[in-house]
Amino acid sequence: MVYMVQSLGVGLVQALLLLVFAPFIVGLINKTKAILQKRQGASVLQEYFDLWKWWRKPVIVTPYTSKIFILAPAVYFGTTLMAAAMVPGLLVSGLQAGSAGLSLGDAFVFVYLLALGRFFMTLGAMDSATAFGGMGSSREVYISVLVEPAVMLAILVNAMRYQSTTLTRMVIDFDTFYFTVPAVLTCVAFFLVMLAENSRLPVDNPDTHLELTMIHECMTLEYSGRLLSLIHLGSMLKILIFLVLFSTLYLPLAIPVAVKVLFGALVIGVVETLNNKMRLFKVRVYLAAALILLIVSLIAE
Amino acid sequence: MDFLFLALVLYAMGAMTMLWPKRLEMAAHAIGMVLAAAASALTFLASATYLGTMCGWGVPAGMTLGRFGALVDIGWSGYTLVADGWSAAFLVITGLAGTIISLYGVDYGKAYRGTGIRALSGLWNLFLASMVLVLLAGDGFTFILAWEVMALVSFLLVNHESKKKETVHAAYQYMVMTHLGTAAILIAFYLIGSHSPSLLFSELAHNTLEGPLRHVAFAAAFIGFALKSGLMPLHVWLPNAHPAAPSHVSALMSGVMLKVAVYGFGRFVFYFLGMEVFAYGLIVMLVGLFSAFLGVLYASMEKDMKRILAYSSVENMGIIFATFGCGMLLVQTGHGTMAMVAFTAVLVHSLSHSIMKGLLFMSAGAVMHATGSKNVELMGALAKKMPATALFTLIGAMSLSSLPFTTGLVGEWMALQSFVTLGWQTGTQELRLLVIAAFVLMGLTGALALGCFVRLFGVVFLGRRRSALVLKAYEMPFFMLLGMGIEALLILVLGIFPMPMVQLMQASLTGGIMALPMVSTDAVVWNGIGDFANAASYSAYSPFMLMMLALIVTAILAFVLEGKGLYVQKDVTWNCGTVPTRRQQYTATGFSKPLRRAFDYILKPRKERTFLKKEHAYFGRSVHYNLFIPDQFTEKLYVPVQHLMVRLSALLHLLQQGSVRLYIGYTMIAMVAVLIWGVM
Repeated sequence: MVYMVQSLGVGLVQALLLLVFAPFIVGLINKTKAILQKRQGASVLQEYFDLWKWWRKPVIVTPYTSKIFILAPAVYFGTTLMAAAMVPGLLVSGLQAGSAGLSLGDAFVFVYLLALGRFFMTLGAMDSATAFGGMGSSREVYISVLVEPAVMLAILVNAMRYQSTTLTRMVIDFDTFYFTVPAVLTCVAFFLVMLAENSRLPVDNPDTHLELTMIHECMTLEYSGRLLSLIHLGSMLKILIFLVLFSTLYLPLAIPVAVKVLFGALVIGVVETLNNKMRLFKVRVYLAAALILLIVSLIAE
Repeated sequence: MDFLFLALVLYAMGAMTMLWPKRLEMAAHAIGMVLAAAASALTFLASATYLGTMCGWGVPAGMTLGRFGALVDIGWSGYTLVADGWSAAFLVITGLAGTIISLYGVDYGKAYRGTGIRALSGLWNLFLASMVLVLLAGDGFTFILAWEVMALVSFLLVNHESKKKETVHAAYQYMVMTHLGTAAILIAFYLIGSHSPSLLFSELAHNTLEGPLRHVAFAAAFIGFALKSGLMPLHVWLPNAHPAAPSHVSALMSGVMLKVAVYGFGRFVFYFLGMEVFAYGLIVMLVGLFSAFLGVLYASMEKDMKRILAYSSVENMGIIFATFGCGMLLVQTGHGTMAMVAFTAVLVHSLSHSIMKGLLFMSAGAVMHATGSKNVELMGALAKKMPATALFTLIGAMSLSSLPFTTGLVGEWMALQSFVTLGWQTGTQELRLLVIAAFVLMGLTGALALGCFVRLFGVVFLGRRRSALVLKAYEMPFFMLLGMGIEALLILVLGIFPMPMVQLMQASLTGGIMALPMVSTDAVVWNGIGDFANAASYSAYSPFMLMMLALIVTAILAFVLEGKGLYVQKDVTWNCGTVPTRRQQYTATGFSKPLRRAFDYILKPRKERTFLKKEHAYFGRSVHYNLFIPDQFTEKLYVPVQHLMVRLSALLHLLQQGSVRLYIGYTMIAMVAVLIWGVM
């Protein structure tokens, strides 16, 4: 019981901290892109202003929708927040010195929790009864089908290494190896997976609203006001969560996690500047590359 | 009082309602269904209390409702009924699903007034009774007898709407396929039985079958039971039989009958054949994994609601068998404790699949009831007309996508844990490759299942109506809602507090011949379900803790969203200056287009486009588009075999010319041959 309360408390504090910093990280990615494209770019804090702007606006709802439409952004945001409580950040640090740290769930639960958010988000988009919503859902499902095997293998790599699927347990043992071939291959593969999961270039373009290029933005098209703000905040939080996972579990560098997260954000900015969005049906080649890297690293263990 | 015998008596009484006069047919139906529900409830109580005693829940001695463990000999010559842990687990599944679906059937069956409703509810009792008897059978002969009754009664139930041509076709296809399966099971029983003193299960367990024949026996048993549970490539009857049967029958077939096959397979593997051979587990696991992936891939392409669910059953049976195979491999490599996890996962997933698939078939029945169609492209916006049905379906769809807080994830989580263990505990390279394959396929399966049920729920219940059929839709009557509601509630309750279910299922494995060690809650790496004492030291899934977190997050969200400033305005969607029409929504076919294209080398879709007329040079052509996704196994395996059979039978024409004189000649020759043989 004490353990549960401790885990919940620390997890919630961690989730709120990540929530506060999430827009900043996205602002940082955007600023990096702007500088690399020789633009001045918006302020690093611009995302906060945008969220505040949407927050105060009214929500416009199409008359054909059911309750799922309103529920979807809340579930999407809620599950992302729960996932944020689960990542191995503060949970690892020694509330129980010497033991394995606190935990709210293991890697599979983490993945399926994000799937819960996706389930409702895609339903919400279909509920708006327009071509765009259906298109976004359909493509989101398609991308997630391609990403999922790679995600599962990325979990398997760590589960085999640390003989546990608990996220905090993996992080505690993480210091024991650096720069082996499998570690580097896994790191690259997880980075590719991270871009696809978070609808970033080259899989999806977060900046455009053209029907031919967008996936995630397509689903959010009918949302406005406070609901839109929730969806965006959820997406930003999701990027930060994946960056934290990337830093704590996959990036084999002996530097503090916070530095690694900032570094990861910069790398995303650079990669997004250097790449175009690829065609929807080429994504499977991209993700096959991640899959092969993971298989090689699993065999090379 | 022995509840199991009472249950059998009640089933028999229920079956007798078939004989009531026609003017009392509605009463016969209602009483038949209520008797079935009561009998199933007794079965459930008897087996659940038995397992409860086994896992030490302190059920008082007087409360154990069935006589278990010891041989229950009903005293007829040669027929024996035995109930042990392994059958009790499946009796729990049968009893639970039987009770709930019978309640649903009270109202659903009324649609068959005047078209053999007495036969429907009478056979319904017989079907349930035959499944209970299969689970209780204590010797090979009783087993085969009950198995055949089950097959024939389910054939009659599938064939109930025999006015429709495709129903008859599906029913006879099912009949042929299920008899192939029975033949395979008979071979297996024959081989084992010929090497043991009698057909009693307790003596079959000490059979002396050795060498290649043992492999043949295993192959025959696997083929027989895999066919009944619809594993690929033996699944072809399943997507045809389920849509043809009345919905509550498909719910029972999918929820329980497929699990009875798992029971039979487990009986053979655990008690008769053993798990010493490495290849056994390997084959079972691989077949299971491919069924899971291909099943859900076809499910996400189908347009018929019940065919979607049928293919999804193929998927879930695939997961169950893959986990079974994983458990066999773990036993073979000497990790008995972890094998326990795998076999518990088999049982837990069987139970949760029977709940969630039962629920979805019932809601498919509700949708058919309300609209008269099962084509998803004609639905849409049903959530407004049937809010309760929509809510229950949503919960079922979530469970089938194995999302948190539902039973679906519990079984799947345990299955994944056992796969991981197979990878790192055994440490050999070939098993590691197997685990990699398993994870890739499970990842694909999980994501495809989510897509499949988003598509199903989204197209049927959300958006705007896609045809006029939706206009006359209405909410379901009480008993139908009751059946669906109980299942939905069970999904959530067992999903958030899964520990009783896991313990019950685990207890069923401890008795009997497989001396697998009982997993103690803190010593073992995996067993984190529902247990949060220092959960980080091992893998843990504690849905209760997750629920606490969810409640806190919900409270925050509710506070934020309901605060001042959230005002909702209703307005038509902006659509580039035009008013959006209903036809602009994505169809189910359109929804699965990217997946169809990504997996076209497996699916090989056939497209026909016909340009009907062309009045203007540049626009206004009306196009007829026809898409057909053939089942590749039917195309590449069954149709050639069928042609071969027809060609071989044509050879009989040489003998059978239709001339009576020739036949008399044959008789003569035969007589002479017999006489010569007798003289010699």
